[in-house]
Formats: sequence, structure tokens, C-alpha cells
Amino acid sequence: MLASVTSATLLGVDGQVVTVEVHIASGLPGYHVVGLPDPAVRESRERVRAALQSSDIAWPPTRITVNLAPGGVRKTGAGLDLAVAVGVQLASDTLPAGALEGIAVLGELGLDGTVRRVPGALALVAAVARAGCTTVVVPAHDAAEAALVPGVTVRVARDLGELRACLKGEAPWPDPPAPPAPDGDDEPFDEPLDLADVRGLAWARRALEVAAAGGHHLLLTGPPGVGKTMLARRIATIIPDLTDTEALEVTRVHSAAGRPGHGLIRRPPFRSPHHTASVAALIGGGSGRPNPGEVTSAHHGILFLDELGEFPPRALDALRQPLEERAVWIARQPITLCFPADFVLVACTNPCPCGLGGPACVCGEGARSRYRRRLSAPLLDRFDVRLSVGSPEPTDPPGESSASVRVRVEAAVSRQRARLAGTPWRRNAHVPAGALERLLPLAADAQNALLVETEARRLTGRGGARVRRVARTLADLEDSPDVTAGHVAWAGQLREDVP
Amino acid sequence: MTGEPISLRDVAHSTNEVAAATLVCLPKMTPTRLRVLLHHFGSAELALRAVVAGQLGPETGDAGADVRRAWRDRADPDAMRRCLEARGTRVWLEGTDAYPIIDAVPDRPAVLLAEGHQPDVLTAPRVAVVGTRTATPHGLADARELGAFLAGEGVTVVSGLAIGIDAAAHDGAIAAGGGVVGVVATGLDVTYPRRHAILYDRVRSLGMIVAERGFGVGPLPGLFPIRNRIIAALADVVVVVEATLRGGARITAQFALDYGRSVLAVPGSRRNAAAAGTNALIADGAHPLVEWSDVLVALGMTAAGTPRISTSPSRPTPTPKAQALLDALGGEPGNPDQLASRSGLSPQEVAVALAELDRAGWTERAQGAIWPC
Repeated sequence: MLASVTSATLLGVDGQVVTVEVHIASGLPGYHVVGLPDPAVRESRERVRAALQSSDIAWPPTRITVNLAPGGVRKTGAGLDLAVAVGVQLASDTLPAGALEGIAVLGELGLDGTVRRVPGALALVAAVARAGCTTVVVPAHDAAEAALVPGVTVRVARDLGELRACLKGEAPWPDPPAPPAPDGDDEPFDEPLDLADVRGLAWARRALEVAAAGGHHLLLTGPPGVGKTMLARRIATIIPDLTDTEALEVTRVHSAAGRPGHGLIRRPPFRSPHHTASVAALIGGGSGRPNPGEVTSAHHGILFLDELGEFPPRALDALRQPLEERAVWIARQPITLCFPADFVLVACTNPCPCGLGGPACVCGEGARSRYRRRLSAPLLDRFDVRLSVGSPEPTDPPGESSASVRVRVEAAVSRQRARLAGTPWRRNAHVPAGALERLLPLAADAQNALLVETEARRLTGRGGARVRRVARTLADLEDSPDVTAGHVAWAGQLREDVP
Repeated sequence: MTGEPISLRDVAHSTNEVAAATLVCLPKMTPTRLRVLLHHFGSAELALRAVVAGQLGPETGDAGADVRRAWRDRADPDAMRRCLEARGTRVWLEGTDAYPIIDAVPDRPAVLLAEGHQPDVLTAPRVAVVGTRTATPHGLADARELGAFLAGEGVTVVSGLAIGIDAAAHDGAIAAGGGVVGVVATGLDVTYPRRHAILYDRVRSLGMIVAERGFGVGPLPGLFPIRNRIIAALADVVVVVEATLRGGARITAQFALDYGRSVLAVPGSRRNAAAAGTNALIADGAHPLVEWSDVLVALGMTAAGTPRISTSPSRPTPTPKAQALLDALGGEPGNPDQLASRSGLSPQEVAVALAELDRAGWTERAQGAIWPC
């Protein structure tokens, strides 16, 4: 009287295969769950029993033991409900043995027997596919996401009664629902953004292009009202679509974070957390099950921090690891989880608390130096492009439109992709210092210009390497095969000292 | 700084001076309380004797009973004498020969404490150079030049050792080997701001640091405007290089006018917030300072006659595009976006030309803008 059903649970943003073993023995009626369940899993008893009874399926009046293997992994959420319900039926012989050969089951149960969506379906299905399952039963809502995993037949479960009939072969499997028409973009803005809205700011616009094309982190400094935020938000309109692999990763992360999607996410995410965000919200973590933070939600996209100086210094310094390694490791007894966090950081800040800066500033000396100290030198050093933005001239014409800038950015991205093919890196900004000579070579005059620049700005080795990468991106944006001395000089000018 | 300690050892103190310093250093002592005490008892010695004997009453000032008790317990002239001798501190009493404020301006301090190796700097003509702490690079350069010019003419530069214009004026005078006087709002043993520790040392070795407060008094906000009256009183002429509309420099200028000192102000652009205060002074009748030698006229001096060598260092002639950027700046601060739009050059051309100007020293970066030098 033993049955086992394959299912999966979320571990960070990855799936972990769980074998649900159900054992029915004679004895006083009872129900026990073992194998590190969290409260939501332990409560599955009430949901499973009610759902079975609502679907006119008998609840065996015997002693039921549910074991979730492997025992050492904490199981979370209600996504194992359906597997338990099916396992109970198998163990009590009301389903034919072997009906679940090679089939994995995912889903949460409602008390009336309906099957509800689970967070992270993409990651879960990918995990069971890796474990050798060829068919997976998922809630109707998650069918589109599950279908993204190659080599798996997706079956839809709408409610428990129907699923039972399908497993017994008494009814055909229902068709997956038509993917809901994407109801507009997820854009939180009322009006579509376009770079043409921004007047003047030729330099700052180019800096934005550099960040979008080369994956360089960008810091804009300036008094309020000159258009920093307006400009920075429009980076979302010029970054190219995600590649297939990137799109899968982004979809997996967002699905695991519980954001309901409509199949594959094609546009890079743009996240702009408010400056009151806690360290855990920004980086990930939290008590109990570690959750991915904003840096992970911005994976393969843009993390926009407006008013950088207002963020708690602890949160900003915690950004240093993801900026450097493009991933976050969060350690919790007994496991360490790795969240991907490959994002481009775009930040805006005022020169001082009052924002006016310079002689117009009304801040006290103490307030000013406290504000400056919040942005630590190691953090500032990680911005490849640092620019102060001044007010545009009143006569400046409206700028180039996002569409034409995006063509240039896309061309620059594909140049980089060709150059970096066969390496683990995708953008100029990712190339480590050791590989610069090989992958981003400089001609003699550009080399010379870099030396001059290093001397004049007293650049550190790391600073010099950053200038070099930005110079390469500038050349890519001009479709120039070689980095010229002009590109190097320009890259140096785009790395201002922050006041 | 060889031989300097000798001048420190030279400092001998009369009983009256030690008594005055003891009074200044009492807790919660203010210039007003000190003045009332000295006036009531006639001399510092007698006042101190009354303090120690606990004979102060309501007629000797507004200090309450608990303050008077604290004074009685803390007054220790022997310890003060040792302290003055160890530090080489001079005590200047109003009405004595050493006291540097010659005319009886209202509210002049009854007692000044001073430290430094060159007390002679106070016998030379004195010009106060003051201004805002949030100075622009142009203002700092002006203050530095003016300090050096005055030093070259044998004029002592008086200022407040604050960041910005004050420090630049001190720096300029020190670099030219001239005499300097720093008037501080704190006690003489406090360095504020902390980053000026080196500047404090230099001012001590080339001039004097003067305070009216006792040892240990920290940088309380209210002390600075009061201190500014001493700067105005010590100077024969007050020059304001850059001042915001509501800055301490304008307070200094107001004191200077009250005391009958000439006030000169360096004019600036109406777009420059750091010149708003000086321009307002000029509108109110201050003399606009365009040629440094005008300061000498105000002092009643003639220039020493040594033709001044141009201070602008030799720089390579800018290329046409770089020159176009300098023209686009027009002597004012600007940012690259403005330069690109005014000069019609592409962003890359602007970048290359700017790099050239930066390297050659034609421009400098400050406050998020490009400044022509």
C-alpha cells in the first residue's frame, strides 16, 4: 500500500525534485507528514481531504503517512498538494498502479477540488524534466510557462475529478488554455516613454547609450529638475530584446518570485525600488526561506536607483557583491542559495541633501559630508560611467527618438556578441581585466591615449580597465572596428569625479 | 621651523594677564560677562580674587548662582600660568600696548588670547580677506592671488581659517611667505575644521592665531558670527571675495562698515550664487575690487613698485576646437552638454577637446561643472 509521485518545490529560484511517498496502513485513522515540510505543506492535509471529498473521492479511513524526499530539503508552499492527493488515491488503489509512470504532478488544491497555479512553474518543470520525467501535469494557468521547457509533454489539470478521469483513461486530457492576450505591456507608466521627450543633454544621452549597449553601470549627478530621472527611465526603451536563453532565465526568476506572467518574458526587466527598500528587499534574503531581491528581479535588465544618496548605506554596500560577481549568494542554515543578479545599475543622485550643489547649496558642511560619505568610494568605483548633468540650454532641440537609438544599441550589442563568442561574457563591461588585452585590444595611439588619461586622472588599474571597456563600447556604438584615441579620451571624460 | 621655540619661551605673563586668561577660560564665560566683571572690579586680578572668594553678586553680571559656584571651584590661576607658559600663549588686554585693535570700536573683546611665532605681523597693515565656504574655483583662485599679492606688498592677511575663501587667502599669503592672522571662533586648542590642521600649523609658524574664547570651547554655531567682528576690527580694510546672500562674510562686511573700515568686494557674474553677496555689497556702495592694487589705495599705500610677473602659467596654445570650447564657456562655468550645443561640435569632439583643455590646465572640474582657469 505504498505509492510515490514525482513533484518539485522551489529552492530560491531553482526547482528541487521532491518524491512524495504515501503509505497507507491499517490502524487508527490519521495523517502524518514527514520530511521537513513548512507550515503550508503541513496544512496540505486539510486542503487535500476537503478537495478529495468535494470531488466525490473517498478519503481512506486508515493511517496515512506522507514522506517528502529528500528529507533534508525544506519544502515550501502549497505546490505539493496535488501530488499528495494523487498519491493518496494511488496508495488506496483507487487509481490504477502505473498511471503516473514518468509523470510529474504540480499544483495547489482549493477546497472544492480546483487546481491552482504554483509560483515558479518554469523552474519546477525544468527540474522534473532534468530528473527524467517526460510528462508533467500542471495547473491550467501555468501551462504556457511549462510549455517553454523543451522535451516535456504538458498536461493540464483543472480540477481533481477531471484529473482522476484523465489518469484512468476515462476522459481525454483537456487542451491547454489559449495563452491570454498580453494585456498591454507591464509598463507602469501611463504614456509610452521615448528619448525624443528629452531636450539637449547630448552627453548624458550618449552615456545612457553606452550603459545600454555595453552593460556599464551609470551614475548621473545633478541638481533636481534637469532631467536625470526622465533620461534614466528611458533606458528601458533602448535596450534590445532578450535572447532566448536570457528570456528563459528572466521568466524563471520572475515566475519564482510569484509574479504571474504570460509565458516568455521578452523585454528586459526594469526595476526601480524606492529608496526606503531594506537590504533584504534589495539584495534578497529575509528570514526563513530566502527570497530573491530586486537585484535578481532586475536580472538581464536594469536596476534603477533614483536618489542613490537616500538609500541606506548598508544596502548600497551590500550591492557591491552582485555588481562585481553578477550573482548573490545567500547563506541560511543549512543551505546557500545562489540568485542570478546580472543587471545594469543606473543611478541618479543629487550633489548634496538640498540638491542645489555648488554655491547655491544651503546645506551645512556636516550634512554635505555625511551625504558624500554615504556613497562609499568602492561603490562609486564600480560605476563605469559617471556624469554630472547640468541644465539644458533653452534652445536645445528635442533629441533623437528611442527607435533610432535602439537600432544603434542593437548593432553595438551584436558586435560585442560576435567578439565575445565562445567566452563566458556577453558585454564589454563583463570582460575581466586579465582578458582585456586579448579581447579588447588597443591600437598604439589609443594605448598612448589611455596612458595619458591614466596619468592625468591618476586612475587606478581598475579605473584604467574601466575606461578601456567604455572606450570599446563607444567604438561599437559608432560601428568602428578599432578603438581610437578619441574614444579613449571620451571614455575618460565620461568618468567624472563625483563631488 | 628652527629656532621658533625661543619666541615661545619669551612669553612672560604678569599676574593680571594670568588672571584675565583664567577668567576667559571659566566655564560659561561669555565676552559680555567678562566685560561686566572687569568693568565692575576695575582689573582682572581684582575680579578673579572676587570670583575665588565667592563675592560675586547679581550686580556683577547675569551669571546665576550655580555658574558663580562653578567659577569659584574651577578658577585656578597657578594651573593657568603653567598652561599659558607651556603653550606659549599670549594674553592681550584691552588698553595695553600689545592689544592689536587700536581704535575703540564697540564690542571689542576685553581679552584676546593669541598663539604663534610671529607677533610682529600685527604691526604691519592688515587686510581681512573673507568669503563663502562654498566658493567657486574662480573665487578660490582670486582669494589665493589676492593673498599672495598682499603678502608681496608686506600686508598681513587676516581671515577666519574656515574652508573656502578663508583658507585660500591664507594659503596664498603663506605660499608667498607673508604674514597671516587667523581669528578663530573656538578655543585656541581646538582645530576646526579638522582637515585644516596643517593650515593651522602654518599660520602659527608664519603669524598668529587669535581667539577671544577660552581653551576647550568647541565649534558652536553661534560663535562664528560673533568672531567675525574681531576679523573686521583687526583689519584696516576688509575684502569680500565671494559671498552668498546670507553668509558670514556679509556679517563681517557689516561689522567693518560699523567700525569705519573700508569694504571692498570682488564683483562676479549675476549667474554665480557665490557672487550674489558681493554684488549686493557693491550695490550697497562697497568699492568693486577689480585691480588688486586698489586694496593698497584703500590702505593709503603705494605699490612697492616691483613689477609683478604675470601669475598665469605658460600653457600650450589650444587647438581650434579647444579654443571654440573656451569661447563657448566665455569665462563662466559650463557642462559638456551646454558646450556641445553652443559650439556645434559632436559629443566626441567635445570630449577630445575637453581632455586637451583639462590636461593643459585651461579648465578644471569642480561642483559638477567645467571651469575655465
